[in-house]
Amino acid sequence: MSNVFPTRTGTETDVRLPFSFIMFAVLAFAASQLMLLGAIPSLSSGAFRLPFVWAAAHLALLGFALMTAMGAMYQLVPVAFLTPIWSERLGFWQFAVTAAGIVAFAVSLAAAPNRAFLPSLLLLLGIILFVWQMAMTLRKQETKNVMTLFVATSLLFLLLTAAAGGLLAFHFFAAKGANSHEVVFGLHVLFGLCGWFTLLIIGFSYKMAPMFSLAHGFSLRPARYVYALYISGIAVAFASLFLRSHAWLAAGAALLMSGFVVFVWHIRAILQKRMKKTLDRPFRFSLSAIVIGLALHVAAFAAIVVGSGRLLGIIVYLFIVGWILFSIIGYLLKIVPFLWWTHRYSEKVGQQNVPTLKQMMNERAVTVQCRLWLIALALAAVALAVASVPLFAITQVLLAGLSVAFAGTILTVFRK
Amino acid sequence: MDVRKLAIQQLKTVLDPELGINVVDLGLIYDLKIEDGHINVLMTLTTPGCPLHDSIARGVKRALEQIDGIRDVRVQVTWNPPWTPERMSEEALRQLGHFS
Repeated sequence: MSNVFPTRTGTETDVRLPFSFIMFAVLAFAASQLMLLGAIPSLSSGAFRLPFVWAAAHLALLGFALMTAMGAMYQLVPVAFLTPIWSERLGFWQFAVTAAGIVAFAVSLAAAPNRAFLPSLLLLLGIILFVWQMAMTLRKQETKNVMTLFVATSLLFLLLTAAAGGLLAFHFFAAKGANSHEVVFGLHVLFGLCGWFTLLIIGFSYKMAPMFSLAHGFSLRPARYVYALYISGIAVAFASLFLRSHAWLAAGAALLMSGFVVFVWHIRAILQKRMKKTLDRPFRFSLSAIVIGLALHVAAFAAIVVGSGRLLGIIVYLFIVGWILFSIIGYLLKIVPFLWWTHRYSEKVGQQNVPTLKQMMNERAVTVQCRLWLIALALAAVALAVASVPLFAITQVLLAGLSVAFAGTILTVFRK
Repeated sequence: MDVRKLAIQQLKTVLDPELGINVVDLGLIYDLKIEDGHINVLMTLTTPGCPLHDSIARGVKRALEQIDGIRDVRVQVTWNPPWTPERMSEEALRQLGHFS
C-alpha cells in the first residue's frame, strides 16, 4: 500500500523535457518529407543510397523517430517502470547535444557526406548520454519485468546502431573501409530497424495496448517467446552478414518473422480481453502499423528467399514509414494530448470541469489524416513496385502534405 | 444532504481523462471514512504505473476539500486488491461501449 501524502508518486517528469524532444521531432518530420520531394526521381527508380536521400531519411529516423522515442521515454519510463528519471538536468543537456548533432549530421550528409564524421560524433555523444540516463533510471526499478528486457535490449541496439553509423561516416571521412562497408551498412540497418526501433515499439506496446484498451486478465508470458525469437533472428541475421551466407540471412529473416507473428497474435489476445469496446483512432492507427509490420516481415522473408535486392530496398522503405513512423505517429497522437493535459489541467481536476484527453484534439481531422497516411503508404508501395515516377511523386507530395498537417494537428493541442 | 452523499457527488466530478468516466462508476473508490470533518479515502487505479496516478489522486483530494466543513482529506492509493473490471457500474460499462 502506498500513501500519497503528499499526493505525488515522485515519478513525474518535468513536462518541458519530453515536449522539447517532441516539438523538435514534429518539425524535423515535416522538413524530412519536404526534402524528399526533391528526391522523387531517384527514389522511384529504387536508388535510395544518395546523399540527399540519406539526409532526409536520417532527418526522419533521427530527427523524428529517435527524438520522439527519446521524448516519449522521458515521459513513459517513469510511469511504466515506477522510477523517476535519473537526472532531468542531464536530460536537457542531452536534448541540446542530440538536436545539434542531428541537424549538423543531416546537413553534412546532404552537402558533403565525407565531412559527416565529426557531426556524427556529436550525435553519438547525445545518444551515449541518453543511454546512460536510461540505464541509470532502469537500474533503480525495483521489480524488473519483460518490458524492462525489451527496453534495455533496444537501448543496447541503439548504441550499436550509432557505433555502426559512426563507422560508416568514418569510412567516408577517411576514404577507407571499402571492403567492410557493405557489412557495416547491413549491421546499421539491422540494429537500427529491428534491434532499436522494433524492440522498443514492441516493449512499449505491452504497456500501451492494455492501457488504451483497458484490457485485464491477460498473460504476459508469450512476450518472452516474442523476445527469444526476435533476438535470435537478429543474432542469425548478424552472423549472416559476416558469413556472407544467404541461407543464414533467410534463417534470420524467418526467425524475425516468427517473433513478429507471435507478437501480433499476443497483442490480439490482449485486445480480446479489453473492456473498452471502441478504440480511439490514434491507437487504432498504431494497431494498423502492427499489421503493416507483420506484412513487411513476411515480405522481407520472401524477398530474401527469392534473392531480390530491389524488393528488399522497397520493403525497408515501407518498413520505416509503415511500421516505425506510423507506430510513432499513432502513439504521439495519444502522448501529446496527455502531456499538455497534465501541464494545463492536472491541477484543476476536482475543482472545475476539465476536458477529457479525447477532447484535446480534433478527432475528425485525426481520422482523415490516419486514413490518408494509409492510402499514401499503399500508393508508395504500388509506385515503388512498378517504378512509376509520376505515382511516386503524387505519393511523396501527399506524404509531405500529411507531415505538415500532422505538425499542425500536434500544434493545435497547445491551444486547448 | 448528508456529508457522505455530498462526498460521492463530489467524487463523481473527478473523471479519468482517458476514459471520460468518473472514479465512482469506475469502481476506483474502495473505502470512504468520514469523521469529524476528516475524510479518509482508500482508492485504486485501473493499472499500476498509470500515467494519470497523481492527477487523479490529487483530484480526488481537491474535490472532497470543496465540501463545507471538511478540514482534512487523506487519500491512499492501494494496489491490493488490484482493480478488476467487475468493480465498474453499469453506467461505466455503457460508456465503454457495452450493451450496445
